[in-house]
Amino acid sequence: MLVCKSKSPRREKLGGPGESVRVRWIRCSAVVRLPPPAMDPEGLELERERHVLFLEMMMERLPSDFETQEINHLTLAYFAISGLGILGALDRVDKDQIASWVLSFQAQPRTMSDLDNGQFYGFHGSRTSQFTIDDSEVSSHNCSHLASTYCALAILNMIGYNLSNINSEAILISMRNLQQPDGSFMPIHFGAEKDLRFVYCAAAICFMLNNWTGMDKEKAKEYILHCQSYDGGFGLVPGSESHGGATYCAVAALQLMGFINADISSKPAKSVVVDVPLLVDWSLQRQAADGGFQGRANKPSDTCYAFWVGGVLKILGFYHFLNKGALRRFLLSCQSKYGGFTKFPENMLPDLYHSYYSFAALSLMEEEGLKPLCVELGITAINDNGI
Amino acid sequence: MSSSDDDDERIPFIQRPEWSDVRPVPQDDGPHPIVPIAYHDDFRETMDYFRAVYLADERSRRALDLTTEAIGMNPANYTVWHFRRLVLEALNVDLHEERDFIDEIAVRNSKNYQIWHHRRWVAEKLGPQAADKELEFTMMILALDAKNYHAWSHRQWVLQSLGGWEKELDYCCKLLEDDIFNNSAWNQRYFVITRSPLLGGLQAMRDSEVSYTVEAILANPQNESPWRYLRGLYKGDTDLLVSDNQVSDVCLKVLKTNHNYIFALSLLLDLLCYGFQPSHELKRVVQFLGKTETDSSDANLATTICSILETVDPMRSNYWAWRKNNLPSQVC
Ligand SMILES: [Zn+2]
Repeated sequence: MLVCKSKSPRREKLGGPGESVRVRWIRCSAVVRLPPPAMDPEGLELERERHVLFLEMMMERLPSDFETQEINHLTLAYFAISGLGILGALDRVDKDQIASWVLSFQAQPRTMSDLDNGQFYGFHGSRTSQFTIDDSEVSSHNCSHLASTYCALAILNMIGYNLSNINSEAILISMRNLQQPDGSFMPIHFGAEKDLRFVYCAAAICFMLNNWTGMDKEKAKEYILHCQSYDGGFGLVPGSESHGGATYCAVAALQLMGFINADISSKPAKSVVVDVPLLVDWSLQRQAADGGFQGRANKPSDTCYAFWVGGVLKILGFYHFLNKGALRRFLLSCQSKYGGFTKFPENMLPDLYHSYYSFAALSLMEEEGLKPLCVELGITAINDNGI
Repeated sequence: MSSSDDDDERIPFIQRPEWSDVRPVPQDDGPHPIVPIAYHDDFRETMDYFRAVYLADERSRRALDLTTEAIGMNPANYTVWHFRRLVLEALNVDLHEERDFIDEIAVRNSKNYQIWHHRRWVAEKLGPQAADKELEFTMMILALDAKNYHAWSHRQWVLQSLGGWEKELDYCCKLLEDDIFNNSAWNQRYFVITRSPLLGGLQAMRDSEVSYTVEAILANPQNESPWRYLRGLYKGDTDLLVSDNQVSDVCLKVLKTNHNYIFALSLLLDLLCYGFQPSHELKRVVQFLGKTETDSSDANLATTICSILETVDPMRSNYWAWRKNNLPSQVC
């Protein structure tokens, strides 16, 4: 989750087989540098009702090309439900049904002593490898995942489920098994890539359960600081290139852990933990000439980064410095006639991921008719029951 | 061995004699599934058989082949990959073969986290002798997409864990020659000069790197990447950034061209905020730009710069206005 993976159609279009890499990139760079679009005379509007229908359709049935993402089934549900939340349409879903479906993914330890066995007792990502509790050797088939656990709690929170009903102790105690000596987290107990995405998930889980025994905050902070690059942004792991999604994970996690002063924009020169002036400069520079945000320097604008990078600016208190009019025009140029949003203006078909982050980005902008977002948690409202 | 490539000829498991002893385990979606997926029959059947061998913990050759098929349809499924590793270990499979298998499927799935994680698992087991092959592999992926984030992460991991630093700076040079706007290649360059055990570190490399970067800036002053890289070369040493004439010189040269000077002004502004004392020539050049862009000729240099930026950088004009109102008191 959390990273946009689809291939750039711009590159596909420009980079025909006969074209050399060099020509391709020079032309690609030229595309990034187009002047801002002229004021749209018709004044594009957000087609709210069409987007609600689009998400309702997704809730009803996902087309078969979602097969390859089935392992992140809870994440797909999160996009649809949180999207409806932003659009103010959560009254159209059956909350009890959603709650029992989400809860059915939780991995339960048989006894509390299981919590020391090195496994993580969170939520499974999908049904693929989840077996009912009376199946033999159930304990060796625990595939619960940090990102799925984050999505499960976020959904439960949004639909008003009382989080104190769930066995949060099992989640939190076993989550410590996933934190690495360098402070990073792996998402699943049998090993996978370790990076900032899962530090963020762990922080969001602790925050939503209002209990920080699930992680060593100081170590996590150390790790995050090692991911800040020479240019001010954050890479997914130490040494990697600054990236909008990784930067969001870093800044939002620091915010949830309480390491960012809520009002640093008034005292920009000093911050306890990060080089904020450089980070702000890098983030603002991501707004490209077409008004949209790019995830990395010299890459084309893409709708999802309006949330990732916009979110960073919001948390840091610098959101009002971006060019809202130009960003709104860019986003609305990616609004699909079928409902939903595309990644790039020239795409025809919307996708769930970019639709969700476009709604989220427009909510940060306080677009009329959209619910406000708790930016560092990625959900519409904090449910008092759980906190 | 079948794979998802020959979909047309795929024989369902139920018709394969070698699987006749296995009872598939269907997926239990529960009474009211949310966002249900419209699975294809092939997909559903393959996963049903996967569940059966996984639940039986059958670590056999046919189980390995089954994971190959399942991965072809469902490459993001980390449970399938995990089980495949258990089988590979149990059967003591030659991991060079496994590497060939990843070579085959990687191009189609070059942005899939699980494949890269699996690749790392294999390389880790093969040890330092695998370094060259891994570097070659990432080079092949980067030739298709020079900014593939996974490939760069893998490459950095290979260098740090298995070695192979010798030609890395040359590789960065080559990629930057192909596309000087490739920020991933600039980032890799920074990684090499700060972390390679062969180059002596940032301080030893600074002079030659500054020259390289200045040349890149002068060729394309609108390119953000080398400007950021230049600052990175002075990371943690603001005094040197301010006192090194090469930095203010490149700003001056770009400003004199009267073209594409936003990054030059931005860096100059930061230098001034850090206490830099500008030359008469620099002041004159900026004030000249200021006269054509704004009407603030009597202000100090930093203020003039902010005013120019407000005009020439419309995406960030609010930011530059705020910077103008929050300049340090001693600024020139
Ligand atoms: Zn995207």
